[in-house]
Amino acid sequence: MLRPLIHFFLIGGLLFSAKAVYERSRIEGPAITVRVAADATDANVEAAIREAILLNEARRYHWDQTDPIVYTHLIRNMRFIEPVSPDDDRALFRRALEMNMEAHDPVVRARLLYRAREALTFVPDDQMPGSAELEKHRITHGDRFEREKRVRFQHVFLSRSKRGAALSADAREMRERLAELGDTAPAGLGDPLPGLRPEQSATPSELKDDYGPELAGVVQEAVLGAWRGPVSSVYGLHFVKVIDTEPAYVPPLDVIGAEVRADRLREIRKELREARMAALRDVYQVTIERAP
Amino acid sequence: MPRTFLRTLVALALTVVSFGCGEDSGFSATDDFGRCADFDPLRQVFWGDTHVHTELSFDANMQGTRTSSDDAYRFARGEPIALQPYNEDGTPTRMAAIDRPLDFVMLSDHAEFLGTLKVCNDPSSPGYDAQQCIDYRAAQEFSAAPGFVRDVFVRINGLLNLAPEDAGYPALCGPGDAYCLEAGTDVWGGIVSAAESAYDRSDSCSFTSFPGYEWSGNPDGRNLHRNVMFKNETVIDFPYGYFDAPDAEGLWARLVGECIDANNACDVLTIPHNSNLSDGVYFEDKMANGDPLTREYVELRNAMEPVIEIYQHKGASECLPGAATADELCGFEVIPFSNLATTNLERITPPDPKGFLRYAYGEGMRFEASLGTNPFQYGITAATDTHISAPGFVAEDDFKGHGGAGQPNRFLPPPPGFPDVEYLSPGGLTAVWAEENARDAIFSALRRKETFGTSGPRMTVRMFGGWDFPSNLCNALERDAQADAAGVPMGGTLEPQPASSAPMFVVWAMQDSTSAPLQRIQIVKGWLDGESYQVQVFEIAGDANNGASVDLDTCELQGEGFGDLCGFWQDPDFDPGQRAYYYARVLENPSCRWTTLQCSTAAYDCTDWDYAACVERKQNLLPSDYNCDCCDPAVGLNPAFCVDVDCTDPGLLPQAEERCCRQVEPAIQERAWTSPIWYQPPS
Repeated sequence: MLRPLIHFFLIGGLLFSAKAVYERSRIEGPAITVRVAADATDANVEAAIREAILLNEARRYHWDQTDPIVYTHLIRNMRFIEPVSPDDDRALFRRALEMNMEAHDPVVRARLLYRAREALTFVPDDQMPGSAELEKHRITHGDRFEREKRVRFQHVFLSRSKRGAALSADAREMRERLAELGDTAPAGLGDPLPGLRPEQSATPSELKDDYGPELAGVVQEAVLGAWRGPVSSVYGLHFVKVIDTEPAYVPPLDVIGAEVRADRLREIRKELREARMAALRDVYQVTIERAP
Repeated sequence: MPRTFLRTLVALALTVVSFGCGEDSGFSATDDFGRCADFDPLRQVFWGDTHVHTELSFDANMQGTRTSSDDAYRFARGEPIALQPYNEDGTPTRMAAIDRPLDFVMLSDHAEFLGTLKVCNDPSSPGYDAQQCIDYRAAQEFSAAPGFVRDVFVRINGLLNLAPEDAGYPALCGPGDAYCLEAGTDVWGGIVSAAESAYDRSDSCSFTSFPGYEWSGNPDGRNLHRNVMFKNETVIDFPYGYFDAPDAEGLWARLVGECIDANNACDVLTIPHNSNLSDGVYFEDKMANGDPLTREYVELRNAMEPVIEIYQHKGASECLPGAATADELCGFEVIPFSNLATTNLERITPPDPKGFLRYAYGEGMRFEASLGTNPFQYGITAATDTHISAPGFVAEDDFKGHGGAGQPNRFLPPPPGFPDVEYLSPGGLTAVWAEENARDAIFSALRRKETFGTSGPRMTVRMFGGWDFPSNLCNALERDAQADAAGVPMGGTLEPQPASSAPMFVVWAMQDSTSAPLQRIQIVKGWLDGESYQVQVFEIAGDANNGASVDLDTCELQGEGFGDLCGFWQDPDFDPGQRAYYYARVLENPSCRWTTLQCSTAAYDCTDWDYAACVERKQNLLPSDYNCDCCDPAVGLNPAFCVDVDCTDPGLLPQAEERCCRQVEPAIQERAWTSPIWYQPPS
């Protein structure tokens, strides 16, 4: 488990800094030829180029000759081909390399690509986000972490199921009673409904999910301290009076640290992958051969 | 080297590595009870799904699911995700989005192959080029033949079918299973970490996640699966599955020893599911070693398993039609298979009534009478069991298949016919009554069983039982507080009353604002009469004969219903010397099932319908189409074909006609089931 980590640490420092190395040395980057199908699309061609570059990088670092998985796999291949060979593993491996087996074996190819791709997204310790960077990320991308505005309101409900045909008349009467209340709480008025409280706190989204868009819209637009309604829902008619609003906000880092860190790490990995790939793409000299 | 010793070494080594690799977030895990802005001491309803599979589950992975834990959480919060099948260039052909966010989720990937998948996908693993992994990867190729994919799936997933004494990791896991144990521990760390990142610790409390996994033993195809749910980020080091703890007692012992008794913040419970697919052995009267149940076993089971899934994608487990009690509503989403293997193979086998909750509740009372504790005193939950990382994706009108029955749907083109087996469904949701949307509050609600399950719609139900409720409680604005003060909520137990009176129950409900209106509320009473148990269903609110229906051609709802209902009921036949339970069932007006909805919008023609040709296509794993699917008599939309079929002895009928005798319901009544309230007589 530790071995790959150490290896990736080294990779972070050495591999995929190709552009800088070549520019500093004022020498040409590696040249490769990529063969694609005659009818390959631009996207297919680009994918093939990137794969070829990664494979070449993996080979430049001799992973095809030093990687333990490649080693084990090639020996297994050789023992399949030469079941009675008296040679030891090292000799068989050497012979497999002489036969150029590592260049064509699909498992070796997958293994090398895997290591190269892991290396592309590896985040070295010195690029792990610290608290200051996370705090900056939290502020810069506040929209990703923003919590919805919340409204505290009083709520009086008249049930359609219970009141039936009298619902509209009851609603007219209720509106008048509420208007007379002034700042007094509407104690004892209306009908019960599961989860409904005389005074409650909710976000517009929660209200939309519970009662439908109409009530959510009215609560969101309501003027503080004034009764609004009746507002219709599938349950009946509602009257609401908003008494307080808490604006949308971004919680502090000590509360949402894990969330911010996960988001920033996703970004860093993506940035590293793109930057390292672009650097490699820049220095490689690629010739495309289309199969007839 | 003994396997357990090796595992301990692996776990220790990985613990050290995980601290050393710089992935520790370093943020405090403060989660004080009462931190949420909408904290309500009278409790409120929160909606969730506690049964969700992602690409980390072997079966889901083999079906082409490529969506991760993060994707599943994003979906639950309302963001769209991509779904299989994928095109050759890897682009998805379908998208899915939930209609409303969920409040809480537990992802429950199968524990047994978490390591296997990582080993086979990680070339740095020494098991990477084992033949099983090579086959697995070959099955991921776009060009892989569906038959080959199924073979690979069966060869590995089939290990779960072995008897407990034979159960073990696949050979690719290497000596002592070390490769998979190491990889599995690593993946488990990722699951816990993903849950941490998804959990909203701000006072908005917009979303709660729980770390968890599924223990997936199904010896001989008999489903004994349990979802393991942790209360918070303090979890065990390794997710013990069937190969590590091959029976439920072994699992509970591990969880007690390494979590509950660990003197840290760890707490855990297990949630049984799909007892309907257990060949009737889920609620057996003996322990894994064959001995009769002991009081210690019963107390442990009772403590570890407060709730059970009554309904999900692979059918309902409430009751079976035709069982001892007449209950015309028992037919809802009962699938015609007796175990998990026959479900995966779509081989019709009659379900066993002993696999259903009515049986468990009855047996539980019998054991309580003899042992003093009830092993099956389950509260109620429901879930999707989605295998496409889509928690809470329960919409009948947007069903894309949950892939939970071994369907290799990645390897077919976008299906022109049904996206899933006709007997399966979108599944349901769990609702909890809790003070706030945070881990402590929701976990406590599950522990005290103040929960209910629905078949999908978010209809809210609350139930209390007591001895002295005011008769006008239904109309009281403060009814939550009054009922709570004078009685016990769903999931509770009524203590005996000295005076000779009968228990009272009050149930109130409101429809889902986006679904059909309510039709009625029922109370299902079960009681122990000597050694036998009885059940009776009572209508307590609404109108069973309200005339509501649905047009099966257009799926338009017809007739009136209720936005909200409340029923007050006192048991007319109460015997204070008899054990009893009472749960509420709330029904919507009829609506179209997903199969009918898809057929109502598809162009299909049954004139020249050829069942044999459709079967042949299916056997060759070729895509079906709407003619094959909608005209199949099992779907219930081809009445002309079935009009003269006599179902007296279905076994004698030609295959196509026999399907007339086991139709799904073209129209369904969506519903909610509350946890029961139990009554225990004086000892």
